[in-house]
Amino acid sequence: MIHEQPQIADIWVYLSGSPLFALVITLAAYQLGNLLYQRTNNNPFANPVAIAVVLIALVLYLMDMPYQKYFEGAQFVHFLLGTATVALAVPIYKGFSILKTRLIPLTVALLCGGVISIASAVGIATFMGADTTIIGALYPKSVTTPIAMGIAERLTASPTLTAVFAVVTGILGAILGSSILNLLGMNAWWQRGFAMGVAAHGIGTSMVLEPPGLLLFTRKPVYTLVWPWVCTAFWAQS
Amino acid sequence: MISGLVQILLWQGLGELVSHFLIPILPGPVLGLILLLVFLILKGHANSSLLVISDAFSQHLGLLFIPAAVGVILFLPQLKAHALAVITALVVSVVLTITTTAVILRLFARTNSNDP
Repeated sequence: MIHEQPQIADIWVYLSGSPLFALVITLAAYQLGNLLYQRTNNNPFANPVAIAVVLIALVLYLMDMPYQKYFEGAQFVHFLLGTATVALAVPIYKGFSILKTRLIPLTVALLCGGVISIASAVGIATFMGADTTIIGALYPKSVTTPIAMGIAERLTASPTLTAVFAVVTGILGAILGSSILNLLGMNAWWQRGFAMGVAAHGIGTSMVLEPPGLLLFTRKPVYTLVWPWVCTAFWAQS
Repeated sequence: MISGLVQILLWQGLGELVSHFLIPILPGPVLGLILLLVFLILKGHANSSLLVISDAFSQHLGLLFIPAAVGVILFLPQLKAHALAVITALVVSVVLTITTTAVILRLFARTNSNDP
């Protein structure tokens, strides 16, 4: 009575059908990405999310597993995005008292930076002939990623592409930001942090701020609050 | 930690309700964020269980958008066809946004000289 082979196959079929498989590869890939990020001394090129996405895509490709099937399991992680968005209220609240005295310059800079961010990305993509799916996903890309994806869903843009563009924007900001700010001769930490935050959200901001703990206090306060309206208003006009 | 999670989920639920019945253009979680923020400002402080859960979430925010971002594999042909447009748009947009924001902040700092 040798049933080894079919039994193992059965177990495999069972496991890959349950949410367990998708959850394990999602968390394991993220863990690996984090490890690499730390090993390379927080090199922006070794972004943990980007690494995880590439790894998971490879696994799905090698296993010939369709994305829909993966997402059925991974949706439990995905759902928590909404919860995490609500939880952002706490750091915003903590930052509010710090930013109160600088509310006007920060708001003006945020609005101008935001408009430039959308207008340039959408303008260039349109001019160079990208299709409407891509252009639609470029609108909310500068907002902090979970909020961007929520907005993208409402704008009937693709939350997937928006998430990818938002992560790439963050990585680009982290790579280019410091040199641009040095070139402009910007010294004040809150100005550097805020400029990076408007352009490239948290991933970028953490790169130019000396005390990393201040990351959450610099940008998100005014930014995340005002941004959704700027974004939707812009969309309505186009 | 659990008490903090329960609070957050309740605000999320409230946000979903407001989004569904009153302001459909804004997503539920964004409205939940705004409602919780208003509540915290009115109340004057955030309790420790809320701080714990929000720290946990912001530390590993990246993990949460992996499932959606993996969906990029569905868009690979489209992205490949427009690769140059996408890359140019993203790079130029980041450079212009950082420059604009920084220049405006410095203009303000100059007119208000007692600002560090």
